[in-house]
Amino acid sequence: MYGWNSRILRVNLTTGETRVEEVDPRVARDFIGGRGWAIRYLYDEMDPRVDPLAPENKLVFATGPLTATPVPTGNRYMVVTKSPLTGALSCSNSGGFFPTEMKRTGFDLFIFEGKAERPVYLWVNDDRVEIRPADHIWGRTVFETEDMLRAETDPRARVACIGPAGERRAPIAAIINEKHRAAARSGVGAVMGSKNLKAVVVRGTRRIPLAHPDELKALSDQVVEEVKQAVAAGKSTLRIYGTAYVPPVTNELGILPTYNFRTGVFAGAEAISGRALSQKYLIRAKACYGCPIACGRLTRVEDPIFGGEGEGPEYETIGALGSACGVDNLAAITKANYICNELGLDTISAGMTIACAMEMYELGLIPESDIGRPLRFGDAEAVVEMVRLAGLREGFGDLIAQGSYRLASHYGHPEFSMSAKKQEFPAYDPRGAKGMGLLYATSNIGASHMAGDTAYMEVFGVPKKVDPLSWEDKPRLVKYFEDIFTIVDAAGLCVFLSIRYLFEPTYNVEPVRISRLMEYATGAGYDEETLLKAGERVYNLERMFLVRAGFSRADDTLPPRMLYEPMPEGPAKGHVVELDRMLPEYYRLRGWDENGVPTAEKLAELGLL
Amino acid sequence: MKIRIKLLAHYQQYLPPDCSSSSYEVEVPPDVRVEEVLAGLPVPSEESVVLVNGRTPQPGQTLREGDVLCLFPAIGGG
Repeated sequence: MYGWNSRILRVNLTTGETRVEEVDPRVARDFIGGRGWAIRYLYDEMDPRVDPLAPENKLVFATGPLTATPVPTGNRYMVVTKSPLTGALSCSNSGGFFPTEMKRTGFDLFIFEGKAERPVYLWVNDDRVEIRPADHIWGRTVFETEDMLRAETDPRARVACIGPAGERRAPIAAIINEKHRAAARSGVGAVMGSKNLKAVVVRGTRRIPLAHPDELKALSDQVVEEVKQAVAAGKSTLRIYGTAYVPPVTNELGILPTYNFRTGVFAGAEAISGRALSQKYLIRAKACYGCPIACGRLTRVEDPIFGGEGEGPEYETIGALGSACGVDNLAAITKANYICNELGLDTISAGMTIACAMEMYELGLIPESDIGRPLRFGDAEAVVEMVRLAGLREGFGDLIAQGSYRLASHYGHPEFSMSAKKQEFPAYDPRGAKGMGLLYATSNIGASHMAGDTAYMEVFGVPKKVDPLSWEDKPRLVKYFEDIFTIVDAAGLCVFLSIRYLFEPTYNVEPVRISRLMEYATGAGYDEETLLKAGERVYNLERMFLVRAGFSRADDTLPPRMLYEPMPEGPAKGHVVELDRMLPEYYRLRGWDENGVPTAEKLAELGLL
Repeated sequence: MKIRIKLLAHYQQYLPPDCSSSSYEVEVPPDVRVEEVLAGLPVPSEESVVLVNGRTPQPGQTLREGDVLCLFPAIGGG
């Protein structure tokens, strides 16, 4: 086969055995790759009711057919497993250089099973696979681990690892690659920690076989040229400011999470913007493999308290560790971001959980003696200290490390957790972007901006602007975006470039170019229709995993604040999320019954029966 | 009447040189339509998201004294 390596590496950590398996060409085509292949294997092999931190849970690292090809942004991989944060599925996504290196070892997927008796790491050098002892790096930070493992394997190797947070099984622990890129969400780092797997180190030199390399190269070059022209013309916002350009935008719409989503308007929005970041701390823009955009930010903060150097912050990080906590100190936000990377924490869940704790502290629901200090909105030093404690699971940080739902429930008030399926909201208040509300509620991975981000249209006008405050048109939009994000993830691409350049040459959201690229890479018979159907197939199989795990309509919901407390001010003033009006229509469009379960007809149509 | 023009993201390069914030005031005729104001701005408005007081304007919408007309480039965020 082409595009795919068509080989899977299965690693049994309990027995120490590794095995190479071929992939059935029909499964390969019908489930695309990456996230799609991962759910096919998990669904077939694993009881979705297992304890996520038990050896019976499986952990999948998955690249896609376009990863490590000439297609721009072909640099992503997905980590798919049962989530210890949500009890549902994790599909966490990261870019950088680890994913391409992994694909070039000649494997598309690594499937980890069981649990090692002692700490270990996996070293894959093309065909040579070793499970090596990791006692000497257990307890080390992400940064130390990366340096030590490259020194003892190959300086050209790429590393994905956990920090102390993952080792201590924090349900908001991330897996970090190249020190600063994170498969962040849903506690994937805790699953890795539960298996005593400290790191995965890869060095790959194989070329990816392509069905129609000349055509693939020509179309890829064309897309790269379009992006380069935009960059040269000074029109690439993401190059100029990174995603940090967003806070003033969402603030203008009144949906920038502020004070734990009490409001969507933040007086400090400009102080935490991309412009401020560029003026104060930016060293240079940084790109992932094969990306002409370069939205990454290499930064340095010179400050007696918040000094450091690293990458970030991204918009989501600024929203969570900044405005949601009432913090407009960009140095502190950046420092907290560095600490999250170093200790292996999801910045979104960490920040949003601290915001939740701040609100509950101010209301007198959390005693100061539990925290060991005051924890008021706007306290930048407190945010930095809480992040450090959470990464180490020390003191009050142990509760923060468990996410906002468990923290708020611990004090008897889960309603202060701004989460869906126990995963913290990203940085869009859904009362002012109704599609995001329906997305958070229904997503297979809990609240996420990476599961079908309708903010593209509701906020950013890509490919065209829709009114974020209307709800009537959103069920169709959410279904569509969930399916196309599934395609992008499964293919191994980044959504930033894909949604803008690969789904439309003329602002019609049809998967024109991505279906051609998929066909040029694989020769498997993809066109727009089969690719969209494959995206829908993967999404439905993920949903069936949730159904089998015990999820139903009752879980497709939002916190009471979103449903019953109107936004108090700003452009979205007076709005709530009309979830009960959108949900039935969404289920109908999905071909699911009134309890949110895919019907037999839908499963038969998708070949899933 | 007076309205404010607010420019976000890299559109801030189009702000007047003496402008220290994200927005500036302009004088426009009463009941001017959004499209008419956009036509006079040095910004590629066809590639932009346009908001009036943070909300999506209706086609043909007219502006009122004190309104904030905001533009930023249409591009995916994060």
